[in-house]
Amino acid sequence: MLNDPTGEAMNAVFRAEVGLICGSLVRITGDFDLAEDLVQDAVVVALQRWPLDGVPERPAAWLLQTARRRAIDRLRRDSTYRAKLQLLTDGWAPDVRSDPDDRLRLIFTCCHPALARDAQVALTLRAVMGMTTSQIAHAFLVSEATMAQRIVRAKRKIVNAQIPYRVPGADELPDRLAEVLASLYIVFNEGYLGSGPDMSTSRDLCADAIWLCGLLSRMLPDEPEVLALLALMRLHESRRTTRFDARGALVLLRDQDRSRWDHAAIAEAGTLLEQARRLGRPGSYWLQAAIAACHAEAPTFDETDWPQILALYGALVRLSPGPVVRLNRAIALEHVAGPVPAMEELDALRAELDGYHLYWATRAELLRRFGRLDEAADADRRAIELTDNPSERALLEARLEPTVIRAISANSN
Amino acid sequence: MKYMLLFIKNEETSADDAALDDAAQRAHYAAVDRWFAEIGREGKLRGGEELQHSNSTTTVRFQDGRPLVTDGPFMESKETVAGFVTIDVADLDDAIAIAKRWPRQDQAVEIRPVVNHEDMPNHPAG
Repeated sequence: MLNDPTGEAMNAVFRAEVGLICGSLVRITGDFDLAEDLVQDAVVVALQRWPLDGVPERPAAWLLQTARRRAIDRLRRDSTYRAKLQLLTDGWAPDVRSDPDDRLRLIFTCCHPALARDAQVALTLRAVMGMTTSQIAHAFLVSEATMAQRIVRAKRKIVNAQIPYRVPGADELPDRLAEVLASLYIVFNEGYLGSGPDMSTSRDLCADAIWLCGLLSRMLPDEPEVLALLALMRLHESRRTTRFDARGALVLLRDQDRSRWDHAAIAEAGTLLEQARRLGRPGSYWLQAAIAACHAEAPTFDETDWPQILALYGALVRLSPGPVVRLNRAIALEHVAGPVPAMEELDALRAELDGYHLYWATRAELLRRFGRLDEAADADRRAIELTDNPSERALLEARLEPTVIRAISANSN
Repeated sequence: MKYMLLFIKNEETSADDAALDDAAQRAHYAAVDRWFAEIGREGKLRGGEELQHSNSTTTVRFQDGRPLVTDGPFMESKETVAGFVTIDVADLDDAIAIAKRWPRQDQAVEIRPVVNHEDMPNHPAG
């Protein structure tokens, strides 16, 4: 027994083992729904037992044995699954590592485009990462009943519509990989933006997303966007702890203590970006990561390479045009060409971004540059109305105080 | 695994084939015929039909146990089923691949898995 049955130790085990076990059980039974249920049951039992008994020395074998016992229980109750369950109970000596592609198949099945994005995310966290329905519901701020229903529906669709369990062929791979990466980035962002100064949640979604993206990069080493997303997440992560001050208020990029950024991680991200660049044309994640790298590598805020950032945003707007990307480009434009062209761009975006708090926060900052203080205060009030995030609200409210004039930008956190 | 592909068209915005000139009509039908020929050669086609405009639809529904016949579709909508085919393929990815090849890009293709009665213990086929 290991002596450290803490949450993080257990999570590391679940991450390492659950996807492998689940993947091989899906292959053996041919039934995603059933196999995933058995493994999830084993995870729930582990979460009850391991804090009392310690993490077993061979946790994979323990989880498999528990899943197998669940299969036997089910076999007694449920005759319709008889044939499939017998595969798991008759002289079963599984070697979960016999097929290294099992976990990759599992990821592509969970992130199949015929499933809604929120279901893709939930299924991946459960089947591949070993999170429980309750943990996922907690992380995404929905009730456990809602999350359970979302997962049940998605699993039923996989079985009923016969979504296949396989790695897509070369012709489909770019589109299908984009689905997987989008789901992974949602997991990361939920962990990054959802976490306040108190990061004591039961699962660290950022760590989970980085771990899974790293795994994908080893399984699909020739895919530049996988490496780029990994770089992007590591760059965000490298300055995560400096985003809040001692009292829990959000600290803007320009005010963050750069000596506390994780410079080893920033350097590694740079290497990943170089590697990705050699593999193919810069994609959307590559451009976003290159922008984040410009910020991370600047020794001070004033030494930020804004012309380079503006050029990268220009490329990003051409590749994936959208109002939020254009808003970010406008911020870079202000640093390069001044507030007048930036304000023109903001005016053009107003109709599309009227309900987006960072649009109003950015507008407030620009209005202050022009000395239009009353209008700036109105824009900040509008931004406050539009955000629920307590740390962001605190920052916006603070700058409504007449003596505090600070800047917030969409790049700031 | 059998799937029904329902070809959905917006009767307000999508092309009214009858209003097209002869050459355009022939081009439309040639593209659709090629699709049918290909799926047929692959042994995946299990039949299907093109449907007339929804304004020729009649609906029979049941009210208080009595059949009631009315003019028009059951669901009033701008989007209607313009035709359907049943295909027999390995899995959803195959069905999606066939749907992606459908030449009428003014239509959407809805993919519905067909119930397999052999899996149903209470059905004569089961």
